[in-house]
Amino acid sequence: MIRQIAVKEVLENLLSLRFTLSLLLTVSLFAVCGYVFVNGYREQSQDYWKRTNENLSALGGQSDALYEVAFHQQGIYRKPQPLAVCAEGDEKSLPNFFAVNAFTADLPRIKGQANFALPHFSSLDWVLVVSLILSFAAMVFTYDGICGEREAGTLRMVLANTIPRHEVLLGKYLGAMVTLMIPLIAGMLVSLIIVALSRDVSLAPAVWSRILAIGLLSLLYLSIFVLSGLFVSSRTGHSPNAMAILLLVWVVFVILLPSLCRIVFEISYKEPSAAELDRRLEEVTKQLWDNHEKFGKNAGSMSGNLSDPMNNPPARARLQNAIVDARNDITDDYHSKLLAQAFGHRDFARLSPVVMYQRAAETFAGTGINRCANVYKQVKGYGANLKEFVRSEDSKDPQSLHLIGPEHEMARSWRAISHNPVGFDAIPKFQERDFTVAESLRLAVWDVGLLALLNVALFAAAFVSFVRYDVR
Amino acid sequence: MIWKIAKKEFLLNLMTFKFVIGTTVCIVLMAVFMPGLVSDYGERLQNYNGNVAMNEAEFQKVKVYNNLTPTVYRTPTVLSVFSKGIVDRLENSERIDLDEVSGTETGVGETNTLLSVFPTLDVTLIFKIVISVLALLMAYDVVSGEREQGTLRLILSNTTSRHQVLLGKLLAGWMTLAVPVTVAFIIALLILLTSNAVSLSGADWLRIALMYVVSLVFVGSMFNLGLLVSAVSRGSAIALVFALFLWLCMATILPNAGAHIAAQLRPIESPEQFAARLKAITDQRDREIADLPRDIQEGEGTSRSDGTGAFGNGLIVFANKPFMDYLTRLYPITEPHKMQCIDKLLHVKAEYLGGLVRQKHLADTLAGVTPIILCERLMSTLAGTDFGNFGSFKGRVRTYRHEVADYIRDKTANFTSPIYFTPSKEGDQERFFETYFKPYDQTQDKAEKAKLYEIAMQKYQQAATDAPTLALQDFPAFTYRSQSLMSTLQQAIPAAGLLIVEGILFFALSFVAFLRYDVR
Repeated sequence: MIRQIAVKEVLENLLSLRFTLSLLLTVSLFAVCGYVFVNGYREQSQDYWKRTNENLSALGGQSDALYEVAFHQQGIYRKPQPLAVCAEGDEKSLPNFFAVNAFTADLPRIKGQANFALPHFSSLDWVLVVSLILSFAAMVFTYDGICGEREAGTLRMVLANTIPRHEVLLGKYLGAMVTLMIPLIAGMLVSLIIVALSRDVSLAPAVWSRILAIGLLSLLYLSIFVLSGLFVSSRTGHSPNAMAILLLVWVVFVILLPSLCRIVFEISYKEPSAAELDRRLEEVTKQLWDNHEKFGKNAGSMSGNLSDPMNNPPARARLQNAIVDARNDITDDYHSKLLAQAFGHRDFARLSPVVMYQRAAETFAGTGINRCANVYKQVKGYGANLKEFVRSEDSKDPQSLHLIGPEHEMARSWRAISHNPVGFDAIPKFQERDFTVAESLRLAVWDVGLLALLNVALFAAAFVSFVRYDVR
Repeated sequence: MIWKIAKKEFLLNLMTFKFVIGTTVCIVLMAVFMPGLVSDYGERLQNYNGNVAMNEAEFQKVKVYNNLTPTVYRTPTVLSVFSKGIVDRLENSERIDLDEVSGTETGVGETNTLLSVFPTLDVTLIFKIVISVLALLMAYDVVSGEREQGTLRLILSNTTSRHQVLLGKLLAGWMTLAVPVTVAFIIALLILLTSNAVSLSGADWLRIALMYVVSLVFVGSMFNLGLLVSAVSRGSAIALVFALFLWLCMATILPNAGAHIAAQLRPIESPEQFAARLKAITDQRDREIADLPRDIQEGEGTSRSDGTGAFGNGLIVFANKPFMDYLTRLYPITEPHKMQCIDKLLHVKAEYLGGLVRQKHLADTLAGVTPIILCERLMSTLAGTDFGNFGSFKGRVRTYRHEVADYIRDKTANFTSPIYFTPSKEGDQERFFETYFKPYDQTQDKAEKAKLYEIAMQKYQQAATDAPTLALQDFPAFTYRSQSLMSTLQQAIPAAGLLIVEGILFFALSFVAFLRYDVR
């Protein structure tokens, strides 16, 4: 019986204006998504490869002296993600540039940002279409599911038969979900075809499981709106009232809450300021300089001539290393505060199902803040690797002082680090590693769980309300 | 008759569920978030005051004229609580410096770049989302709903003419919607006035009043749009669905699409290219300076400089005669040159900004056909948080740069006077140098050298601290007045006109549709 009701619902929906409108809107937007993405991706990959090659050739230029390799400031950019078509994760406004050498990794920065004067527009991706248009359509399909039938008098007739109420509800739920799946799947296919037809984007086989996950996630998200539509519909007697309530709920949860959370959060959370970071860095540097005798005699002074008795290379190296370590610690601390703030924001914004959905989709697509943090971590790891490499190469050079310290002058004029050439191929190079599927799953598990929980709660609510519904 | 219909409709509307919910949401949102917005403004004001005070304190420490590189700040506008505009994303300070102009002006308002992902909130957002939805909800069943209930037939079977009915309903709708708008403004103002940080000037009040009017016109336009949809559809459910899809397109899709299309159609110079152009100019300047005749370009002799000058600059404390001669020859040539270069840099920067503005204008024009965008633009223009105001700040800074340069030029006899770079009286530098640093340089004995060094350093630091500060009473002050109300109004007129025209057009169309409406 459930099947029959569901089929009837789907057929009825297919003929309605709302279905035509949402299908047209969704599919055309998905197509635009694909088109815009392909263009943007082509540009981004060209930029990315150009910058990466520039970086590598600059690094290659330093390979005739090991110490220059250690001090060379490498500029690393984030790789464009093919799955950004599904969830772009606002990567355009997130830091995309990382400067690193063997001793420090600078804070991530934004380079090549688009026009900041334009209104802050959300990136056009599947998540935007699903979270705004389809969620809206979900409510439009269901707002009169119960009360509309009551008004038309058909609900009485259905229930006068032997059909139990839960079957009616389930039938209606399934009907709405199937109807929604049509524009969703059609849109995804159109978008994917556009992406696949372009020669610029290559979708690796591993990507398909992620796309599937995003599709399932979208259904889970849409189901929330279908269920809330049914719930509200079975709490009200009049369908325009149901629509008014649903609309306000939608506006509050989908559009306003994500913004409101920011204000609330900003009041409660003190932002670490860049000026304070500079002050702390300066303070610690000054403090270590002032106590330079602690690291050995004459650590605070140096002259270019190694035989000058005022020079004390090991002490100098200890001092410089201590300064860089202390500065790195402070920078790390600052960065983790920034991250904590951003994550706190997002956790707080989880009040809105849209944010849960966006977060989970971003994680599956391998974009967003998580990825930024991950790349920065990898860049730091790469810096440490490079230092190890320099250390091991340096140990082969008998002329070197073997003092791996962050002062360029010391390495140059004292030969604190080897001046021997190194093979370019032997130098470790940065390779960005994406999250594995398992890691993505682990990161998304909370959001997916909360979405599922919300579904269950809303289904229970809709069920209870419908069971007690006065069909007259 | 119109009045009677309007009154009846108004009273009926007040009792509806949607009105109650919509108004409550509006009030709650205002009451909850206005304090946050106000405290945000208070914080920015405090920051601004702190910065200005720090800048003022630096003036007390100025000992030589080339240290005069003050930073000017843009005052935060109190009306930004009504409309944030793009002010947060723009550079709000500029250092008056001969050597460089600050680079790209992106993301300066945001300390934590990770946060740029999250949307901002202001009063306009509440209006353009909640009240516009409410306007459509009020209007969708005005015609089609009455047809369904059969009451439309009854009314029109009397002598009441159709235009009376429609006008009555229009008036009623506007009056109903004016209630939440007014209440929201009153709450906003109450919260603003009770906050300590805020003081409103007469012009501010006028601007707020204008914003109120704009909001009313906007809500009216949205209602007319709803009316149009209602008058062309047979059933109220279809009208509602259609109206809401329209709203969804206008509120979320069109603004995004406009920005995307504008970015495609009118691409801007990438920040890297822009930075490269700036660098090319400074590089050329440095090359030209390096090409100066040798006797000017490379000074003989030595100097001791100290990093404790004002505004984070250094100053020369001691120098021997050849070096002093060299600097007095060098500066009159390099400094005017640098000034010209700064003008070129500013020109490039203005060009870059111009590109951004043109792109934004295109995006606005593309998406700006809808009342929602028009309202947003008008609000930010009235609040003084749009590009126009930023442009006038930049223009003012530019003239201020010239004022400062002229002042320094005037005081240092075209950079020829040593007071441009060294504080002590003429001849002092050389005498000090001969007395303290020469013996140190000449001694070979290590212990003796260290002792002499100690003494010389002491003297040098003493001299740096003892140097008299400059009397800067006549230094040009940076006064910046945000755009006058008149020019704001001039800027606002096209958008306001369009908004009104759209409102009238929607009404005219719905009038035509209603005249031909089949009431059965």
